[in-house]
Amino acid sequence: MVGPLIPMGVIPETWNNVIALLLGGGFGFALEASGFSSSRKIMGTFFGYDFVVLRVFFTAAVTAMTGILYFDYMGWMDASMLYINPYYVMSAIVGGIIMGMGFALGGFCPGTSFCGIAIGKIDAMFFTAGLFIGVFIFSELYPLFEGMYNSRNLGGVKIYELLGMRETVFAFLLIVAAVGMFYGAGFVEKKVRKVEY
Amino acid sequence: MNKKYLLLAGIAISLGIGILFMPEKNTEKQVQPEQLLAAINDPSRFLSTDDITDRLVKKDPALMLIDVRPATQFSAFSIPGAVNFPIDSLLTASIQDMLNQKEMDKVFFSSSDLTSDQAWIICKRMGLKRIYVLEGGVNKWFNTIVKAVKPAETAPAEAMELYQFRMAACQHFFGSREMGANPVATAEKKEVRVVKKASGDKTGGGC
Repeated sequence: MVGPLIPMGVIPETWNNVIALLLGGGFGFALEASGFSSSRKIMGTFFGYDFVVLRVFFTAAVTAMTGILYFDYMGWMDASMLYINPYYVMSAIVGGIIMGMGFALGGFCPGTSFCGIAIGKIDAMFFTAGLFIGVFIFSELYPLFEGMYNSRNLGGVKIYELLGMRETVFAFLLIVAAVGMFYGAGFVEKKVRKVEY
Repeated sequence: MNKKYLLLAGIAISLGIGILFMPEKNTEKQVQPEQLLAAINDPSRFLSTDDITDRLVKKDPALMLIDVRPATQFSAFSIPGAVNFPIDSLLTASIQDMLNQKEMDKVFFSSSDLTSDQAWIICKRMGLKRIYVLEGGVNKWFNTIVKAVKPAETAPAEAMELYQFRMAACQHFFGSREMGANPVATAEKKEVRVVKKASGDKTGGGC
């Protein structure tokens, strides 16, 4: 058993931030390489002319999931030691709505807006300014939201546990769903009028 | 359709079919029974009331004092600085998050040792580290610290020091009980004695 590397002590915990920086750089590179620094490309998902967002993120999810499951099966890492973000139901719903509206209005999510800034997109700069204003408003009004923000914490639950499904069955269904969606997205792209950008 | 896409989709689906055949494993984390038994027999989990009081007075940031009694008893009286996690709520996600702080010493207490020891075993089985039990619980804390008994005149100096420490700690938490009547009048004026250094002291040193 070697992984996960930091909780197992293979890499000392003090390297956490350095590794986070390297991974963040890699993430930014992958976003830019996929064309995510263009708000028009991202908006394609909402209008149906470009589904690259769906493809990239589902590919990433399916690849990581398959990798973790096989690594765990081979005994190379202990998947139960991975950190899972706690699931706050109300925060997830309300935050998801706000984030989705911002996404549809601005054409960026927080990560891609920084990518856009890195290559000098002016709309990304405005978006990020708005992002910080939002962070400021949230921080100042935090006492008002605190109750809702912390309510209904389900802990680090997994979706197949909530559905009462076997982990392996869920993983297989997700892969099939992803491939099906990729095919369906290509179908929609052909039907919808191409937008030049 | 692009041939490359078909190939990649084929790889993904076949890996998915492989996943289907993986054996199911028990993901419940808990310590081995032998380890749990050894830990139960080890009395080092019990911390004394004086030790905890000392750390409370010094405002030790790594100390997390947890009252596992029901909320009504907690609001009636508890050790100052304690938080209330009733024993039946220990397994909820938000409390688990708070208990899962590696750098904190979690000290459980109840009225005596009984409920707090149960809480300790629950948390031990879940693999939590740095968990302790306050020996004797809030009753012993009250009897030793708040109602500290003055030792006899013939008692050793350590007993006297311990008594003074307990009195001081009690004053720290609840204020002085001696201040009632007329604090100014009872305060004895002490003569200030200035010790003058003998001039020409050779051993005085200097820089």
